[in-house]
Amino acid sequence: MFGKPQWFRRRKYGGWGLAPATWQGWVYIGIFLIPFAIFQVFPIWSDSLRIGVTIGWITLLIIDVLHIMMSLNNDERETKIEAFAERNAAWAMVGTIVVGILYQIIKSGFSKTIEIDWFLVATLFVGVVVKAISNIVYDRKSL
Amino acid sequence: MRTRIKELRARLGLTQEQLAQQVNVRRETIVFLEQGKYNPSLQLSHDVAMALETTIEELFIFD
Repeated sequence: MFGKPQWFRRRKYGGWGLAPATWQGWVYIGIFLIPFAIFQVFPIWSDSLRIGVTIGWITLLIIDVLHIMMSLNNDERETKIEAFAERNAAWAMVGTIVVGILYQIIKSGFSKTIEIDWFLVATLFVGVVVKAISNIVYDRKSL
Repeated sequence: MRTRIKELRARLGLTQEQLAQQVNVRRETIVFLEQGKYNPSLQLSHDVAMALETTIEELFIFD
């Protein structure tokens, strides 16, 4: 694709995704963002074209970033550190979601109406499914 | 666990960066390996031993 893995490193301290490691990484970000920003600023295109280009642009960016992330050459110590960090982040998110759902259940009890955000419940359920699938796959895989 | 990586690397005149490139890891990983602060996989142990022209048994010292 367009970006090269050696231009980036995994984002460690500011969320997920990639961070530029070299000047080429910054140029890549500029090339992706500046034409898109210019396109959005000038109101000479129709809304349908604007929406189409935005969807296409973001799709292209996501595919390229995923390709770069999969090609990044992480050494085994980095991979271990990343796995521990991701696990801790997952546990923090699960804990927060559970607390949020419990709060909504208690609130529902007081107001006698169901005020549960089902997206939170669905998120927890998806997590359970992904964990189960991961265990099935990795139990059978030679690691 | 202690290692003889630093000693054997110096004997071959390799820098940490050069060894890291040979075994396909970051220089920081070599630093932690030399300080005995990282337990490498068998594959990495083998790769480092090969790069330093020695055996795994010679490379790591278990007290």
